[in-house]
Amino acid sequence: MKKLMILMVIVLMVVPMVFAAGQAEKKTGYEIVVVPKDASNPWFVRMKVGVDEYAKATGLNVYQKGTAQIDATLQAQLIQDLIAQGVDALCVVPVDLESLEPVLAQAKKAGIVVITHEGSALENVDYDIEAFSNAGYGAFIMDNLAEAMNYEGVYTTMVASLTNGSHNEWADAGVAHQKEAYPKMQLLAAEKRIESFDNGDVAYNGAKELFKKYPNLKGIMGTSSYDAPGVARAIEELGLIGKAFTSGTGMPLDNAALLESGVVKSLTLWDPALAGKAMIALAVQVLDGKKIEGVVDLGVDGYTNMKFKPGSKTVLEGEGWIVINAKNVYDFGF
Amino acid sequence: MKTTITNTLRKLSRRNEPYIFLVLMLLCVLIEIRSGQFFSSNNLVDIASALVVPGLFAIGAFMVIISGGIDVSFPALASLSVYATTKFLLDMNYQGGVWLAILIALALGAILGAFNGLFIGYFRLPALIVTLGSSSVFKGVMQGALNSKQLTIIPIGMKDFGTSSLFIARNPVSGLTSRMPVAIIAFLVVLFLVYFMMRYTMFGRGIYGIGGSETSAHRAGFGVRNTKFIMYVMVGMIASLAGVMRVCMMQQAHPTNMLGMEMNIIAGVVLGGTAITGGRGTLLGCMLGTLLIVIVENSLILIGVPTSWKSVFTGLLIIIGTGVSAYQVSHMNRVRSAKTPAKEVVA
Repeated sequence: MKKLMILMVIVLMVVPMVFAAGQAEKKTGYEIVVVPKDASNPWFVRMKVGVDEYAKATGLNVYQKGTAQIDATLQAQLIQDLIAQGVDALCVVPVDLESLEPVLAQAKKAGIVVITHEGSALENVDYDIEAFSNAGYGAFIMDNLAEAMNYEGVYTTMVASLTNGSHNEWADAGVAHQKEAYPKMQLLAAEKRIESFDNGDVAYNGAKELFKKYPNLKGIMGTSSYDAPGVARAIEELGLIGKAFTSGTGMPLDNAALLESGVVKSLTLWDPALAGKAMIALAVQVLDGKKIEGVVDLGVDGYTNMKFKPGSKTVLEGEGWIVINAKNVYDFGF
Repeated sequence: MKTTITNTLRKLSRRNEPYIFLVLMLLCVLIEIRSGQFFSSNNLVDIASALVVPGLFAIGAFMVIISGGIDVSFPALASLSVYATTKFLLDMNYQGGVWLAILIALALGAILGAFNGLFIGYFRLPALIVTLGSSSVFKGVMQGALNSKQLTIIPIGMKDFGTSSLFIARNPVSGLTSRMPVAIIAFLVVLFLVYFMMRYTMFGRGIYGIGGSETSAHRAGFGVRNTKFIMYVMVGMIASLAGVMRVCMMQQAHPTNMLGMEMNIIAGVVLGGTAITGGRGTLLGCMLGTLLIVIVENSLILIGVPTSWKSVFTGLLIIIGTGVSAYQVSHMNRVRSAKTPAKEVVA
């Protein structure tokens, strides 16, 4: 009888401790999910590397989950599933801004912290992280294209889709920068912007048509990571190497051959792995109840001196752009 | 003599191909007027080269639709088999020619096609449901088991095949050049073989027969199950071949960027006068319809359609085109049923 009493007392003491321990663990073990545009684009494969590194370093329950193909509807469904699962924070790289807005509103209503990347025009978010100011990066691509075109000639712009947030801001800023800095260059009036749907084949066929229809076209400013490589294939096949030029976002190793053969002189980039880490770091700060104001240090390279975009309370901008050319193409390890 | 000509004309006016051909010509003239580039040698070569992959897919889709079925899984099937092939050859560091890639892809295509054929032919499940399901399965295997991501480096044999050309067309005015890819031979060979098979072999006539009426075909002595099964195997092989051509020509294997092509391909086949209910249609019409879709997709910038109106324009053209052929088919049926009560199979 005495033994039984002791046993009961022990059980009564231990059980709450076990539960308390469980609760304590739950408090720090945030579940944070990164949702990229899709799972197969090397850009987001690279982002996953950063996310996994972050998870390993901090021990948090952080993971990346993407849809099989790039599709705004599928992405919205995935996010709704995650809301139902009750995660703590969502870090999203949106496919289409407008269609995602109501879904993100649901997430916020459910008390989930929402951080986005490449979606500065979104309203239903806690914060949006940009590797750099869109205006700065657009101007940076334009600098590279202008240099290749020898600062003169007719050019046009290419984006994944006309509804894509950042791509269009870069293109706008690139055009604005050209008007200011390169007066001898000219935007093609008849076809100011074409779409590539993040598909190298569409970019290739579109570029072929553009060069056929407008013989004086000399440059195409790409934004998506499929644009410039697709355009480069067209330039090569049409026999326009040295006569027509392109620059834009692109992954180093994937485009090593193009850079080394001189079809493309330079590509621009930021490191998606670091962008992924920065989104999570910010989500953790918000979940911890830290005040996000002034200059924000996320402890990730290029994201240590983040400032709010002028006039915005949600968009944070870093200084993460890099240029890739034939000389440094193998230096990044991805 | 005069009566034979009027007879031929009357016969032609009841068929669908002349109308499609007319629409096609009108479109070409429109593009020519707007851009002055359509009938230039390099543009025609560009169109031919853009036709290779959709053309191969359309041949497969055509066979399935003639048999009274529908296949929405062929882009996923092609993606899976070509992705697996490319990855396998990369892993074994294969340095030889493209033939091995084609052989492996054909074998995989046959297996995956047999998967469709088994359920549709032997278990008699509805083709739409089966192929919707198998399309998910194929995508899933690619994403899960093969952990797919874009392969930007492909085996050297495939790379060389993709860039090799039969001839290079040069536009004397603009100086632009375009390659006629060797891959077009694969397309022409398949086109010829399927044309011959559908028209002159018992197997091909069986496919038409099954599409017209399965019961009648069975009573007439066709092995309905076997015919369907073998046909889906063949369609799987043709789709896989299209996948290999695509990867070689693009110089990279992207696991998902063929997905979503099925709608425009099927639209092209129907546009060409193939009855969606099966049993009626010609390969010539199917090719004209596909060509129409390919030209529309690759000429909107030449016409000068603003980017924001692109999909509206493509959609309208598909609706108008299919509308014309659907009207034509129903008109034909009315005339025919007024004349003869029994339904006949027409090639």
